[in-house]
Amino acid sequence: MTKEKEFKPKILVFCCNWCSYAAADLAGVSRLQMPPDFRVVRVMCSARVRPEYVIKAIARGVDGVMILGCHIGDCHYISGNHRTKKRFAVITKLLEHIGVNPKRVLVDWVSAAEGHRYQELVTNFVKTIKELGPNELGGLSS
Amino acid sequence: MNSLEAETRRVVSKLLEEKRVDGVIAPRRHQGCTGPHLFQRVEEVEKLVLTPKYPVANLCLLIQTKHPEAKLGVVVRGCDERAIRELGKLGQIDVEKLVLIGLACTEEEAVRCGCSQPYPSRVDIGVKVEGEKPDTKVAPIKEKNLLERLKFWSENFSKCIKCYGCREACPMCVCEECMLEKWFWVKGGEIPPEIPTFHLIRAYHMADKCTGCGECEAACPVGIPLTSLYLLILEDVKKLFGYEPGRDERISPLLTTLEEAPISE
Repeated sequence: MTKEKEFKPKILVFCCNWCSYAAADLAGVSRLQMPPDFRVVRVMCSARVRPEYVIKAIARGVDGVMILGCHIGDCHYISGNHRTKKRFAVITKLLEHIGVNPKRVLVDWVSAAEGHRYQELVTNFVKTIKELGPNELGGLSS
Repeated sequence: MNSLEAETRRVVSKLLEEKRVDGVIAPRRHQGCTGPHLFQRVEEVEKLVLTPKYPVANLCLLIQTKHPEAKLGVVVRGCDERAIRELGKLGQIDVEKLVLIGLACTEEEAVRCGCSQPYPSRVDIGVKVEGEKPDTKVAPIKEKNLLERLKFWSENFSKCIKCYGCREACPMCVCEECMLEKWFWVKGGEIPPEIPTFHLIRAYHMADKCTGCGECEAACPVGIPLTSLYLLILEDVKKLFGYEPGRDERISPLLTTLEEAPISE
């Protein structure tokens, strides 16, 4: 009767409108199986995701954040994903310094044709987060 | 120390006498207290002192906003010069209109601040001493594992009384609208402020600006080791982009996109 409650992570996936959201769409219409633990937020460009959003999400107890953009060189806005890459390199380090596992933030690139890659990334990420367990900061902030 | 003060007074008087500058910014001993002052007459210069140190970069900004044409002399330590250079890059102050009088910190001061470069690029007064290794401050934190770090920082952050002392003292905090005051980012009316949002947002903003002057930590009434956090992230920025705020002539790589070497996946 006292079956241990399975940990259901809360995961945010920021997808850029031009590549990774299309890839998510493709994965969906291709009926690729993915775990249901993530919520997709569509943004116009991965550089639209302010690092502060991720800080706040993690502080509020979100277990993992993925930021997906176009491949380097393919950005619809030419250099948006360069900014993303540089910013989140700093943010993951910062989270590590205060004791949050840096694996909770993942930046990667998915083109509009890569539905399978999207499925793979999301599945792996959900697996990693399930292994890590609930967010370390979960109990600290509302 | 006194010989340094005498030397500084001589240099400042000379600048004022030759009318090369309209005024010189330096700390002044007045009515038993020390504070920043704009020396405009040679007679005042006898009140000039050097300790305690005072961040002067913000004062240049303040005076230049009101008097954009003024030619100012500034007595700068290593950290002040780095702050001035960084503010110049951000378009906040006109470095061309400043005459910098370089003051090297004594060994005692360098140890107290844990400063890695306690001298400006051109030393006019004092003798250059080598700085402390930044490791002395950050090494004990780096040795901790993730859980210990989380405990250490959440204990420290929960002491915060949200006085904004770190922001006010910081020579690099010049935004007219501060994110930390917006309820969208950090909810008002709560002490301590949201952990760790408040401190992490500030730390991220400092990642490509902090000159390591230690004013934030000195201003903090509850003793949060803020400088250590910023030094940790500065070290990473140096490793990632080879960029050191205040020492580099380049614009921060976090503000540029394609100017430097191409990024690969």
